[in-house]
Amino acid sequence: MPRFLQGLRAFGGLTLLLASQPAWSTSPAALPALRAESCSVRGLMDQLREGLRSNSKAYRDYLNAVLREAAVSLPSGELHAAFDRETDPAMVEQLAAALVARSEREAEKDAIQAVARRALEDRDPSVRAATVRAMRRTGALEKTGDMYERLMRDGSPEVRMEAAQNLIEDNQYVYSAHHGPATDLAVNAATASTDPKVTARILESLDTRKMGPEAGQKLLGMLGHESADVRRSAALALGSVPAAQMGPAREALVGMYRGERDAGVRKALVQGIAELGFADAVPELRKLRSVDPAMAPEIDAWIRALESGVQEWGLLLREKQRLQQVR
Amino acid sequence: MRHMKKKALAVILALAVPSVAAAYSYTVKSPFPGTVTATTYYSSGTFHGALDISSGRCNYWGVETGVMASLSWNVTIRTSGVYCNGTGSGTQNEAKHAFSNGRTFRLWHFIKTSDSYDRTCNRCQVGNEGGTGNATGPHVHVQYDQSGSNLTGWYSGYTTKGEAVDRSETIGVIN
Repeated sequence: MPRFLQGLRAFGGLTLLLASQPAWSTSPAALPALRAESCSVRGLMDQLREGLRSNSKAYRDYLNAVLREAAVSLPSGELHAAFDRETDPAMVEQLAAALVARSEREAEKDAIQAVARRALEDRDPSVRAATVRAMRRTGALEKTGDMYERLMRDGSPEVRMEAAQNLIEDNQYVYSAHHGPATDLAVNAATASTDPKVTARILESLDTRKMGPEAGQKLLGMLGHESADVRRSAALALGSVPAAQMGPAREALVGMYRGERDAGVRKALVQGIAELGFADAVPELRKLRSVDPAMAPEIDAWIRALESGVQEWGLLLREKQRLQQVR
Repeated sequence: MRHMKKKALAVILALAVPSVAAAYSYTVKSPFPGTVTATTYYSSGTFHGALDISSGRCNYWGVETGVMASLSWNVTIRTSGVYCNGTGSGTQNEAKHAFSNGRTFRLWHFIKTSDSYDRTCNRCQVGNEGGTGNATGPHVHVQYDQSGSNLTGWYSGYTTKGEAVDRSETIGVIN
């Protein structure tokens, strides 16, 4: 049977009678007896287990998509029981994704709580990581209380990094950087983490345009972190803060530049200052040019880019890169 | 000949590998079963730049957000009560999601229900089909815009005026 038919048979939620043989095929006596087949969560899991072994990423993606769509009509009790029983991380991720989909489609709003519980409490770090992945690009950070702050303290680096990736992608794709509480939660989680790699990962990718003042203060505090990676990512994150927080952010970045020794952090500080001020940052950058001669080419590139009159940050970044390449 | 094959393979690979910076796109399904009654232009020739979908029934079908993804939705209620044939320009109820690329996806004209509130969800209901705002009958206006200009490419090729659609029907792709 072709794979797509197997998928349909597994996920359709219908009792399918396998297609009868056409008139031109061999005689009925030579064929196996046709049987009606009921679809169930168990049957679906068997199909999934088989499908996930496929070498085709497209087919695996297809299975994921069909499962998430079918999740709304699957029997809740059976799905929860299967999720609770399952221990294979790959299958746990699929079943967790189905429960999360039920929650996101509002077929069963609290279904995500079972997934969050397992993400926090399962003994196997691979299972915890898998359940965290299943909550990516969903409304999990609004619906799971302090889960992300607790995940930041998870004993497994893999789990911590998966949680960080969720915070980044949720802010970028679910909230499109327009939801202050989501940004604040990501900043709070980043500052609560004791793993500098995780803190840096979250902050370097975070758009802070809607960040609240309290989270802004925490972010400013990260400029004094002992890890250069964290200081660098905090400087980048401060570049996009809301207008009300721009003044203190600019002062902090300029003040820190003179005492900072790490070249990577200095580059990030200059970028943060440029993003906060656009063309108005040019006089400040000229003043900083003499502090470290090694940074002069970097600052010059920023000054030329900012003086080009480009008004969008994405285009400015590209212009600055272009100017450095043609130098 | 061998070199030519290698070059051809390299070109094919270069075309096949997606750009790292490729934009993310979302499929949009119909918010309820109905018919597409207007697309880029009204029959009068006036620019519309959006999709109007109507079932012809007022306060019957729940309006789903349509975009196949978990998104945070901002629901603005400007008119309470059941209205099917218009309440005046600018008074429509609206559900919208503002994307970080500066584009905004909007649904207009629905009737306020207990489901009309801000939340993050995937194709959830935000009200019932109705005619709040500038409307002459119950329908939903589905719009994707940037800097005050309505975008039309997102539905072109996916649906046309007169097409019957249900909630499983793709009416466009936004990115």
